[in-house]
Amino acid sequence: MTDPIIQVKNVSKIFGGLTAVNQVDIEVPEKHIYSIIGPNGAGKTTLFNCISGFYFPEKGEVLFYGDPIQGLSTNLVAWLGISRTYQNIRLFSNLTAVENILIGLHPNLKTNWFEAIIHTKRFQKEESGSVKEALRLLDYVGLKGYGDFLAKNLPYGLQRRLEIGRALANQPKLLLLDEPTAGMNMNETAEATHFIKRLRDELGITIILIEHDMKVVMGISDRISVLDYGTKIAEGNAAEIQANPRVIEAYLGPGGAALSEKYKKQRLSNAKSN
Amino acid sequence: MENEIRPPRRYKRSKLPKLVRWIFGLIVLSYFFWRLYTVIIVQNEYTPDIWVRLLISGLVIGGVYSLIAIGYTLVYGILRMINFAHGEVMMIGTFAGYFVFEATNAIRFTSSTGEITSLSNAQPFLSILLAFIVGMTVAATSGFLLEKIAYRPLRKAPRLIPLISAIGASIFLQNLAQLLFSPLVRDYKNPDLIARGQGWAITVAGARLTIPYTGVLTFSLSIILMFALYTMVRKSKLGKSMRAVAADKSTAALMGIDVNGVISQTFIISGMLAGAAGVMWGLHNGLVYYYVGFLPGIKAFTSAVLGGIGNIPGAMLGGMLLGMIESIGPTALGISYQLKDVLAFVILIIILIFRPSGILGEVLSEEKV
Amino acid sequence: MNKKLVSPSLKRGLTFGIVMIIFVLIDLDVMVATMLSKLFGANVIRGSIPDVGFMVLFLILFGMFVGWSTSSDDAKPTTKLFQALVAGLTLGVVLGLFDLILNQLIVTGTDVRKYLAALAPESIRLFLFDQGAISPLLHLGLFTVASLLGSLMKILLKSESASRFFKGVKSGYQGLQAKAQANTPNWVKKYGKFLLFLLIGLLAFFLPRIWGSYNNYVVGLVGLYVILGIGLNIIVGLSGQLMLGFAAFFAMGAYSVALLNAPLPHGIMLGFWPSLLIGILMAVVAAVLLGLPVMGMRGDYLAIVTLGFGEIIRILLKSDLLTSFTGGPRGIQDIRGPTLFGQSFSSDIDYTYIILVVMVLSIFIYKRLERSRTGRAWLAVKEDTKVAQATGVNIMTNKLLALCLGAAFAGLAGGIFAARNQFTGPNDHQLMVSMNILSILIVGGVNSIPGIILGAFTLKGLPEILREIENYRLLVFGGLLVVMMISRPEGLWPATRPNIEKDEGNKLKENGAPGEGGLND
Repeated sequence: MTDPIIQVKNVSKIFGGLTAVNQVDIEVPEKHIYSIIGPNGAGKTTLFNCISGFYFPEKGEVLFYGDPIQGLSTNLVAWLGISRTYQNIRLFSNLTAVENILIGLHPNLKTNWFEAIIHTKRFQKEESGSVKEALRLLDYVGLKGYGDFLAKNLPYGLQRRLEIGRALANQPKLLLLDEPTAGMNMNETAEATHFIKRLRDELGITIILIEHDMKVVMGISDRISVLDYGTKIAEGNAAEIQANPRVIEAYLGPGGAALSEKYKKQRLSNAKSN
Repeated sequence: MENEIRPPRRYKRSKLPKLVRWIFGLIVLSYFFWRLYTVIIVQNEYTPDIWVRLLISGLVIGGVYSLIAIGYTLVYGILRMINFAHGEVMMIGTFAGYFVFEATNAIRFTSSTGEITSLSNAQPFLSILLAFIVGMTVAATSGFLLEKIAYRPLRKAPRLIPLISAIGASIFLQNLAQLLFSPLVRDYKNPDLIARGQGWAITVAGARLTIPYTGVLTFSLSIILMFALYTMVRKSKLGKSMRAVAADKSTAALMGIDVNGVISQTFIISGMLAGAAGVMWGLHNGLVYYYVGFLPGIKAFTSAVLGGIGNIPGAMLGGMLLGMIESIGPTALGISYQLKDVLAFVILIIILIFRPSGILGEVLSEEKV
Repeated sequence: MNKKLVSPSLKRGLTFGIVMIIFVLIDLDVMVATMLSKLFGANVIRGSIPDVGFMVLFLILFGMFVGWSTSSDDAKPTTKLFQALVAGLTLGVVLGLFDLILNQLIVTGTDVRKYLAALAPESIRLFLFDQGAISPLLHLGLFTVASLLGSLMKILLKSESASRFFKGVKSGYQGLQAKAQANTPNWVKKYGKFLLFLLIGLLAFFLPRIWGSYNNYVVGLVGLYVILGIGLNIIVGLSGQLMLGFAAFFAMGAYSVALLNAPLPHGIMLGFWPSLLIGILMAVVAAVLLGLPVMGMRGDYLAIVTLGFGEIIRILLKSDLLTSFTGGPRGIQDIRGPTLFGQSFSSDIDYTYIILVVMVLSIFIYKRLERSRTGRAWLAVKEDTKVAQATGVNIMTNKLLALCLGAAFAGLAGGIFAARNQFTGPNDHQLMVSMNILSILIVGGVNSIPGIILGAFTLKGLPEILREIENYRLLVFGGLLVVMMISRPEGLWPATRPNIEKDEGNKLKENGAPGEGGLND
């Protein structure tokens, strides 16, 4: 097993009196797809925000390749190679799709405003290179031909893809996807699942995923952890999580585990009697 | 694709801007204290009566600013827009009051004692009441029309658009008043009872000074109006709907609140306050011209921001504070009286640097991602 | 009759009636009649009263407009006529009542000009067609007929056959255009753009020599405001910071040139070009000093703080504190103009050249900035600051950079402005200047260079050309801003986003094989 690309150690985030994330530990090895699940308000997005620099956790450490990154401003986190998408899509809606991706390329480019005015060789080379790269990415996320549409005019599914495209432009090592299949129908969800897998397999990107759709989660995750009320209550692979009584209770309420046990038995006996 | 690892730079969130701000603030603050020390302790050439006089004029101006500032704050709280034409609404109120006093002054008759007197002197309370009622009504109407014509069609537009519309309305109203009433500066004809410059004589530390009647009227009336408004917003049904609309327009609409109606009423109320402030301004300062609303408008907006925009007690506090700063500040710091506006803006910048949401404004939690 | 039909028309008639009354009260009716008479070739002397026929013409046009706008688009012709009739009658009745009052004023010989400054007896007489007591009836009849006429016009022009006619004309025109496109020889396609630029360049060179100093003044003013507009656009349009005190940077440039280049108060006489450079530098320094402490503030707070900054600068320039240094409220006179190759280069023609060259340079710089990494970062910050930062854009440096570059343009324009007027004073740098520049942006179209030029022309050039409406120009300006925001918030000439994908595709087609390369190799 390779070294973990990101380690979240004992991280807590407190808003006023509310502990949104409570002493959570996560370790993600390279080239893994890691899912975080949990009921609404469990602190999943808050954890994402702690990793990507939006929030400064009160306690604990976030280590990227072993170096602490908590408290770095978000642009530095992006510069290090951590990209993210958002639960409710946040594109630069009055810019075109290509421009959105070009902005994603920002941390990789070096020319400054003065070079832009006098059009140095370096600027021209970098500019044409970045346009080509943006178009390549556009093609990669399946938006070829939509490049000159304003982001706000794209259909919902394509907006999700564009957001991923913008995140990929940064050449990330780690990609944080916040509910990438929310609001999609079954076909689109299947496509997106396949696409996420491709990202890992073809580009070698490590992916952390927040997702509510269990089919997606169980299908592609190498490892899953479950948050409830800000605390990590379980971690393991798909089968382990499915069998974990605490997880079932978190989703179905107290007594849920016994209930689910009962239904399982009932189904079994039904199957036997048939 | 080569996966080389970029080394994380080992520094925390950049502290530079914060540091610059604090240094900037500290320099200005220490300058202020140094000047205060020099003027009050070292030079010590002002007697207490001067300070009392400045305090009184500060309170009066502050009361007017507060009333106008409440208008800005109410509208901002509900529509998140700067009603740039609010100062012009006040100007309209000032003109309405002026015409009432002109009219009551023109009606002359022989009183029971046999001398010829005008209505405004025979019935001063009636004419003052009439001036306030007319001033407030006209200003409220213009506030209502302003919203309906210039802002309502822009409810869903990006923020810059209503602001420009407001700037346009402000320019339009100013120039309309100039064309209608000429650019002349006119005198307010106060009833003799509250003639300008007259007042109660008091003695402070051996020196005589007068508390002007107009000042007392202005200050007490503005306190009463502010109190009434505050109670209204806290207690009445309209106040509750206003707060609901301010919190979330679409949810308020779902709860059965007539959002457009509430917004109209907000403009009417802020127009009334501005109208009252306008008449007071006319009575106290005695001058009315098409440009009269502009500076008080800007100042009142500054006070609203100073107190924390969107917050009604904040607007009151900010107005009073700005009035005081303007009247006492130049003397206390020993700088030219011309620079009172500079002082007001510098204080605003300092306060915003240390408390970005104003004095009483809530510190907005970071927008949820 | 149907109440739903009557009441909107009634309201409309009432509204237009009030509008007309305001027109009369501010003497705008006489002004329009005068403009009409000028249009028909009458020799207009300032303050003269035009022929009564032009007043009738104006009122008929007004009534027709009321009828046109009252008839709803989707109604039947009879309904349209009915609506126009109601509106016209209402308008006539409202103005008829108003006429009675006006007539009373004339009869009793009361002069109300103490309160309503514009209401001169001659204007009233003109408005009443000099007919005294029967003028209310005349107005009633005139407005009703005119309103019906307007409605009739709408019915005719918007009818089926008319629209078919217009469509035919349009398609014919398009056909011609396509044909012309196809027939254009290759060399025109290739060098057309170049030739066009050459032509514009030649015009820009020769016209200022021909058309007199007044036109040069107007063109120079418009050009300066274009430069200012571009500067403010970098701050407001690209990086999304609402700046209301832009005139402060303008003042920095103007005062730098003035102080370093006038006999009083210092008599330094450094020369125009170096002092212009220092002016730009001073504006940038001011931007940094303003920007560092306030950069993190939210939009509206930033707006009021920058407004305050502008006022601080203006008041300081005016105050006794700096009188010995800046000349106080009287400003600085006799600013020396620029020289070129040892010769004076400061006639009005020369200034027009300077301004045009600087303007073209500004546009060039702006275009290059906009289509660069920096420009895109600014746009991202404007769209969504937090997400832009999480995408790797450094907010602080980019915002500050935008502020500094915008300020540099303002300093540049300010320096030229001061030298051209040979004077600058605190009143050149009022809040209204900042508002005007912002309005130019919004009216023309944010982020659109043709828009800014059009906006500068509309808001600064047109009022200069139409001197007759001088008294009314700010009124019209204010009203225009409101109307524009409601009917065309994207501006006269809205900006479009570049079609990068399409352009790249075309490039590939032209070059044959798709080029390899990119960042990922």
